[in-house]
Amino acid sequence: MVNKLERLLNLTAVLLATRRPLSAEDLRDRVEGYPPPGAAFHRAFERDKDDLRVMGIPIRVERVPATDPPVDGYRIDPSDYYLPDPGLEADELAALHLASMAVRVDGLADQEALWKLGGVVDTGGAVVEQAVTSIPIDPALVPLFQAIVDHRQVTFDYRGEARTVDPWRLRFQRGRWYLTGFDHLRGDERNYRLDRIDGPVELTGGPVTHLRPGAAPTGSGPQPAWELGDDEPVTARLLVDAVAVAGARRQLGATAAEEPRPDGSVVFTVPVVNVEAFRTFLLGFLHRAELLEPEAWRRDLVAWLEAVAGGAPGHG
Amino acid sequence: MASRPTAPDRMRRVLAVIPWIVANPGQPVRTVAARFGLTERELLDDLNVVYLVGLPPYSPDALIDVDIDDEGGVTIRLADFFSRPLRLTPAQGLALLASSDGLLSVPGSEPDGALARALQKLGASLGVGPDDALDVHLGDAEARVLDQLRRAAAEGAEVDITYYSYGRDERGARTVTPWRVFAEAGAWYLHAWCSQAGDERVFRVDRIEHLDPRGTPSDHPAPGPDGHEGDGGGVAAGVTVFQPRHDDPRVRLRLSPDAAWVVDAYPAEVLERSGDGHLVAELVVTAIPWLERLLLRLGPEAEVVGHQGLPDAGELAARAADRILQRYRLG
Repeated sequence: MVNKLERLLNLTAVLLATRRPLSAEDLRDRVEGYPPPGAAFHRAFERDKDDLRVMGIPIRVERVPATDPPVDGYRIDPSDYYLPDPGLEADELAALHLASMAVRVDGLADQEALWKLGGVVDTGGAVVEQAVTSIPIDPALVPLFQAIVDHRQVTFDYRGEARTVDPWRLRFQRGRWYLTGFDHLRGDERNYRLDRIDGPVELTGGPVTHLRPGAAPTGSGPQPAWELGDDEPVTARLLVDAVAVAGARRQLGATAAEEPRPDGSVVFTVPVVNVEAFRTFLLGFLHRAELLEPEAWRRDLVAWLEAVAGGAPGHG
Repeated sequence: MASRPTAPDRMRRVLAVIPWIVANPGQPVRTVAARFGLTERELLDDLNVVYLVGLPPYSPDALIDVDIDDEGGVTIRLADFFSRPLRLTPAQGLALLASSDGLLSVPGSEPDGALARALQKLGASLGVGPDDALDVHLGDAEARVLDQLRRAAAEGAEVDITYYSYGRDERGARTVTPWRVFAEAGAWYLHAWCSQAGDERVFRVDRIEHLDPRGTPSDHPAPGPDGHEGDGGGVAAGVTVFQPRHDDPRVRLRLSPDAAWVVDAYPAEVLERSGDGHLVAELVVTAIPWLERLLLRLGPEAEVVGHQGLPDAGELAARAADRILQRYRLG
């Protein structure tokens, strides 16, 4: 009896070696270990195809030439199968190995990925005693990454609307995943939180039509939460007391312009596309910061605080 | 974990092992096995199947030729169709890029080192500019602070820090013994022994405003997980960033559906769920400013409906809001 590993390996070898698509019957004749023609063979063949697909082996289904009615044929295009050699040096492979131990990506096992790249190499005595961190994944993550690699459009539901997006970049920061891309509904660049995408991400198959304008932003610092949103861009001015300036500067980063005042306080000018995140940020300063502009937000904030204070609007 | 590998499990490694042996002929069985994390027996069992693989008519010249010489060196010939490994799946490519990019984002990492070069090459082979497609940021911290904390942890030495406690809204000097530095949810943390508290504590690294290595050995070495030093288990290895205590005060909040995230974000016990999505939850309060900020942020989405050990819980948010409003009324 031919063992299953042997049968799967032979099936893969035959599919890789053939130029023309082979029907199930052709394959039964060529690969040892299948049951005689009939239902049992078809079950075994379907299971084998599923096993190969789960491994990531790309089987093409094409019509067998000159068949009428058409018959499905199968083959593996070598260019779909073979890993392009990244040309990693031993120290680079070792560095990848250490990185995958230090920064784990939850739920995506990479042992096999390292095997494919040439196995585990001597890391020169370096060891990772404990992971530095573990990155959570989101169901939307792998489909979006695949779409970015393939330069394909995606569709998904976000904040109650169906979006068609040219995906550009995935960012992980402050413990969350974000997508940046061109939103065809809005006609502009937008950011999305992956955990707020409703339902599945579909690869619509269409190629992307809008490329990221210019190079990726320089500097690898994270974008603050109020720069990751879907609201119309507004510039806010925030007055922060001297005692809280150091903390504000740390959180605002390089994007905020500063206007120092004689008493040590500073007015920060901040571009905002996520009003809610910005309100949370400025309330974090309690009474040590004041929103100066825009006037409309200032009024909204006062109304918000009055509601919390329990006074009616106009209370004084 | 030690269950028998399935045929697909074995196939995954066989498809990676064959190309490596083809490219590196004559390496000892022991070396190959170690490289792929196998026992020599497992590798030999796999190779015993490989030499049965080939193309019809499965005559000897159409089968993969596996040869193990007298010195134990392995050679594989006639395996043209398996001469290159299988492509990385999107999930595998993503995981490797994310790990590497994340580690490179750690302040103080070498921007031109082996990992950076590996990331460039891997990205190119996947068809993406790694800087364009993916950006993983583990958290802000000063490289010098991270480095000194790690060094002190390795040496088991004490350091003096000035720490700003955001929750309590106060700063103070402490002497700590760093045990472990780790990143979680976008920030760096230090798990340490705190001499002032006489207990272990978790600190946010970006709120350490000043750091001075004392150079004195500590009497409170890091506890190994279950007595094993660094077996690489869970990430936080039993440390949670926040640990409620028995006698911490508690507050009971009625939360609207829009504020329901609070029970996922903080240690909370849900007491009631109503059909319209409202819920009542009890939260541990470690510091008053923390609760003030939470209530200010939630605004009308939350209502204090009970408390324990917090006599003025109902008034807290209103008073905090009034303090802020005074600025706006003057201005």
